[in-house]
Amino acid sequence: MTDQPPIFSYFRGTKEPAFATRTEFEAAKLFDYHRIAWEYEPRTFILERDDKGNIQEAFTPDFYLPDLELFVEVTEMKQSLVTAKNRKVRKLREKYPEVRIKLLYRKDFVRLARKYGL
Amino acid sequence: MPEVGATFLTAADIARRTAELGAEISRDYAGQEILLVGTLKGSVFFVADLARAITVPLEIDFLSLSSYTKEHKETGNKAIRFLKDLDQPVKDKNVIVVQDMIDSGLTLHYVYRSLNIRRPRTLEACVLFDRPQLRLVDLDVKYVGFEVPDDFFVGYGFDYRQLYRNLPYVAYLNSSPNEPELF
Repeated sequence: MTDQPPIFSYFRGTKEPAFATRTEFEAAKLFDYHRIAWEYEPRTFILERDDKGNIQEAFTPDFYLPDLELFVEVTEMKQSLVTAKNRKVRKLREKYPEVRIKLLYRKDFVRLARKYGL
Repeated sequence: MPEVGATFLTAADIARRTAELGAEISRDYAGQEILLVGTLKGSVFFVADLARAITVPLEIDFLSLSSYTKEHKETGNKAIRFLKDLDQPVKDKNVIVVQDMIDSGLTLHYVYRSLNIRRPRTLEACVLFDRPQLRLVDLDVKYVGFEVPDDFFVGYGFDYRQLYRNLPYVAYLNSSPNEPELF
């Protein structure tokens, strides 16, 4: 990221977050602005194993909001990425029905971030 | 400069739905009193009309919430807060927070948290517009005027750079070549 990193007051992880995309960065700012505690990629869910028990597919949602007990995955605009993430989120919900996860799109975060002038 | 476009809701549409919400709230709180808490500035017209559609005794108060400003940026102190708090205590009162719009639910969540610690008897919300497709926080919003799409609206409290709030109806705002992005 090229932006000067803001002071994140509500980050609750132990390791400095290394945002992979601009959207993730915007999401973190949005949570912080609203005083929502957040963690970055704290847990990986195994979605598929082969016959020998080797991991075939896994999914690490971008954020966990502990106060809301909610995982949040944000996506970029590219339709291929959106489709892939939709599939992973669907699979996660099937395998881990107790886990709450929401998928939000880049345009939504950009819209909200602009609304709040972040 | 973007221009006011087609009408999304007429004044009559808004009045009809507001009357329904007022009747519903009056039924739910029959024999009790209410404190309506409007969030400035977007909800002022809705609060005024909703209050007059409610038949049980009520008080009105307003909250103002911060938006990100240059001042925040310079100090690094960037978090939502009340710019104007309520003028009265809410303890043991039936509080209904009135907002023009709920989308992510993050703002209302903050308002709820802030008011809940003051121990109101009940705490509910009434919103004119709901965009559930953008919801992050699962809040129970008891009174909803209209579910709306992601378009940019002006009028009846909704603004574009502080303009158009005074329109008695809600209209789409059309982008202009100079400002293709409204949000």
